[in-house]
Amino acid sequence: MSVALIILTYFAYVFIVVMYSVKLIKIARMPVHLRWELYPIASETESKYGSSYYGDVEQWKKNRRKTVLKGIFYLLKENFWFGEYFRRNRWYWLVLLPWHIGFILIIAFHILCFFGAIVIIAGVPVSAQSTFILGRTFYYLILLTGVISFISGAFGSIGLLIKRLIDKDLRAFATPQNYFNYLFTLAVFASGLYAWHFVDPTLSGYREFWKGLVTLSPVPIDSATATHIILFALFLIYLPFTRSLHYITKFFAYLWVRWDDKPNLKGSKIERNVKEWLNKPVSWSAEHIKADGKKSWVDLTTEKKSDEKEA
Amino acid sequence: MKKRLKLTDIAKGGDAPLTEINLDELTPLPPPYDKVEEQPEFKRLTEEQKERLVCNLDGVVSYAALPKPKNKEEEKKYVEQFVSGLKKLLSKENNWTFLQPLLLSLDYCARCQTCNEACPIYLASGKNELYRPTYRSEIFRRLVNKYARPGGKFKAKLNREDIELNWTTITRFYELSYRCNLCRRCAQICPLGVDNALIAREIRKLFSQELGWAPKELHEKGTVLQLEVGSPTGLRPNVAMDNLEFLDEEFSEALGIEIKTPWDKKGADVLLIHSAGDIISFPEGPISFSVLCNAAGINWTLSSEVGGYDGVNYGVFYDDFQLAKVATRHAQIAQELGVKKIVMGECGHQHKAFMTVADRILTGELNIPRESVMTFLEDIVFSGKIKFDPSKNNFPVTLHDPCNIVRNLGIVEPQRRILRYLCPQFREMTPHGIDNYCCGGGGGLSVMSDVNFTDWKAHVAGRLKLKQVIDAFADHPDPEVKKYLCAPCLNCKLQFRDIFDYYKVKERSGIIFGGLGELAVNAMVDIKKPLIKWEEE
Repeated sequence: MSVALIILTYFAYVFIVVMYSVKLIKIARMPVHLRWELYPIASETESKYGSSYYGDVEQWKKNRRKTVLKGIFYLLKENFWFGEYFRRNRWYWLVLLPWHIGFILIIAFHILCFFGAIVIIAGVPVSAQSTFILGRTFYYLILLTGVISFISGAFGSIGLLIKRLIDKDLRAFATPQNYFNYLFTLAVFASGLYAWHFVDPTLSGYREFWKGLVTLSPVPIDSATATHIILFALFLIYLPFTRSLHYITKFFAYLWVRWDDKPNLKGSKIERNVKEWLNKPVSWSAEHIKADGKKSWVDLTTEKKSDEKEA
Repeated sequence: MKKRLKLTDIAKGGDAPLTEINLDELTPLPPPYDKVEEQPEFKRLTEEQKERLVCNLDGVVSYAALPKPKNKEEEKKYVEQFVSGLKKLLSKENNWTFLQPLLLSLDYCARCQTCNEACPIYLASGKNELYRPTYRSEIFRRLVNKYARPGGKFKAKLNREDIELNWTTITRFYELSYRCNLCRRCAQICPLGVDNALIAREIRKLFSQELGWAPKELHEKGTVLQLEVGSPTGLRPNVAMDNLEFLDEEFSEALGIEIKTPWDKKGADVLLIHSAGDIISFPEGPISFSVLCNAAGINWTLSSEVGGYDGVNYGVFYDDFQLAKVATRHAQIAQELGVKKIVMGECGHQHKAFMTVADRILTGELNIPRESVMTFLEDIVFSGKIKFDPSKNNFPVTLHDPCNIVRNLGIVEPQRRILRYLCPQFREMTPHGIDNYCCGGGGGLSVMSDVNFTDWKAHVAGRLKLKQVIDAFADHPDPEVKKYLCAPCLNCKLQFRDIFDYYKVKERSGIIFGGLGELAVNAMVDIKKPLIKWEEE
C-alpha cells in the first residue's frame, strides 16, 4: 500500500508537470499575432486613465520605457485576491476566493511538507516540541497551511456547487464536469479535513509519508491520511484535463494579448516573425480571397492598384 | 413567464426566431423618450419577407442575401464548409493572425458570467439572453470542441455540450455574430482575459473567409468597392477632388476665410486620410482640418489615389485579408507620396485598423509612422499659431468616446484637453473614457442597414448611448438650449444620425452632433461666421 502511494504520488507530480509544460509550451510557441490590445495597459505610466503612448505627439520619436513588472504584480495580486470579482461579482467572489485559497495553500502545504522532510532527514525533528526553531516553524506552517487549505477549499467547493446550482445564469452554462470538479475538490479537501480532525491532529502521518517519499522508504500510514493522499494524487492527474491552467494562462492572455502594445519596428524580431508567416500558403475557400493552397498571405493581400483614377 | 433560452436552442426550431424584440422589455429611456407608446415602432417583417428571407434569430435581418439551401445536399455542403472554416481558424497557416488570442479566449473561460453586465446590448435589451456576450461565445466554444478537435463528438456527448450543427445553427450564428459591437467592454472586465468580442469577430471571419458570407455594406459595397473604386461610398477619385474643391469654395464664402485643400503633394510632411463618408455626409469635418492645417502652417496633403482619400477599413470588422489589403493600400500610397507621417481622420476604426491591428502586417518600407488626429489636433490647438476665442463655443458640449480610440487605442486625454480649453460648458457623460458605452454602431453595424436592421441599431444597440447623451445634458432639457455632442468618428456619427432621426433628438432635446475639428474652427478668432449651425440651411 505504502509503496503504491509513493509511486502514485510521484507519478501524479511528474504527470501534471509534464502535461502543464506541454500545454504551456504549445501556447507559447504559437505564431506571432496581430495586435489586439485593450486599455488600460498596466505598464503605461498613465494607465489609471487608460492612456497609451499614442496620446503623445509623434510618439515614435520618443524612447519608451516599459516594465512588465507592474503588470505581473497586478496579476499576482489578482491571483490571491480576485479583486475584479470582488468589484463586479461579489457573491461569486465570496465562494470563489476560498476555493482558490484552498488550492494555493494545499500547494504551499505540499511544498512545506517536502522541505519539512528534508529538514527531518537532516536531523531536525519537526514537531511542536522540537528543540529547534526551524523544526517548530515547519511544524506550525505545515499545520496551518494544511488545515486552512482543507477548510477553505471545502467551503469553496460547497459554495461554488450551491452557487452554480441556484444561480440560473450560471446553471445555464454549467456542464456535468463543472459539478464533478466541485465534488472532486470537495472530496480532496474534506478527506484532508477528516484525517486531520479525527485521526491525525498534528499531521505527523503526513510528515512521515513525505519523509518516506523523499527517502524512497515507505512507512505505514493510517487509512484516512492515505485516502487523502490518493485523492490528491488523482486530483493532480485530473487537473490537466480541466480549465485549471487558466491560473497561468491568464498571464499570457494579459501580457501577450491584452497588454501587448509592442510596435512593429523595422528590422525587429516581430517583423522577422511576421514575414515568416506572411509567406505561408493559405487555403481559405471564399472566392474573394483567391487562395489556392499555394499562394501566400503576401500574394493574396498585396493587390495591384486599379487605374480607376486615370479612367 | 418567459422561457429561458438554452444553448442548445440555437439548433432547434428551424425557421422560427429564437426571440423577439418587445419595446416594453428594453431598458427605459429618460424623458421625453420614456413613453413606450411614443417611441418609433419596431419594423416587423412582413409575411412575404419571412417567407423569402432567413430571419430565424430575433426577427431582425442584417443580411438579406443569406442563401437558403434548396435541398438536404446543399444544407450538408454549407455545414461542411462551416466545419472546414472552424478547422482553419485553429490552423497556424490560415489563422496565425489571431490564433493565440483566440485559443486563450476559447479554452480558459470560467463561465462565471461576470462579463454580461458590461455589455451595452445585453443591458439595453432588458437582459435578453440571446444577447449575452457569453451565449455566442459558449456555443462557438462547444462547436469548436465538438467539430474541430480530436474526439470532440464523444467528449461533447459525455459532457452534455452537444450542439447540433445544421442550417438553423449556422444561419442563426451568422446573424448573432452581427449582434455585437466589438466594443470589448466585456473583455475589459474579464478577470481571465477572455475576449468575447474577439470570438465574435473570429466567427465573422469564418463566414467571410470560408463561406463568403458578409454584410454587403462591409464587403461587396465596403472593402471590395474601396479597393476597386476608391471608397465604400462609391466616391471616385476625381469626384472626391471635385467635391472638396466645391466645399473649399463654399466654406471659404461661408466662413469668410480662404480655404484650399492640397492634393497629392509629393514630399509633404503629413498625409491626412479622412473618411470619404465625411466628405459626403459631414463636410464640416474635412473642411475644418483644411482650415486648421493651413492656419497652423503645416505641410500636408490629401491623396486622390484609389483608396487614398478614404481611411475606413471595414476589414477590421470581419475579414483579415480585406483588412490587410486596405491597410497595405493606404501605406503604399503614403510611401509613393514620400510623406513623413500619416494622420488618421476622425474615424475610430480607422485608428484601430491602421495604427494597431495592421501594424504588424506593414513591414519594411510600408511601416510609415501613423498618428491619431487627436494628438495631431491637440498639437495644432496648443501650438500658439492659431488664436482661439472659447466664448464662441459657449454652449453645453459633451464628448462621445469612440471605443476604438479610447478602449482599443488608449487615446483618452488629448481630445479632453482640447475640449476643456475650447468649450467652457464641456461636461463628461457617465461612464466615459475607457469605460465608455459604444454608440451602438461599432463593429461595422453603423453602416449596415439591410431590411430592418436600422430599427435594431436604434432601439437596442444605441439605446444606452442615447440615454447617456440625454443624461449628460439633463441640466438643460429645454430644446431651445442648443447643445453639441462631440463625436469624433464617422461611424459613430452615422449611428447618431440614425438614432437622432429615429427619436427626433434635435427637435425634442435641442442636441446636434459633429466632430472635434468643427469645435476648434468654430472657436477661431479669424473665422468671420460660425461653422457650427444650429439650424439646417
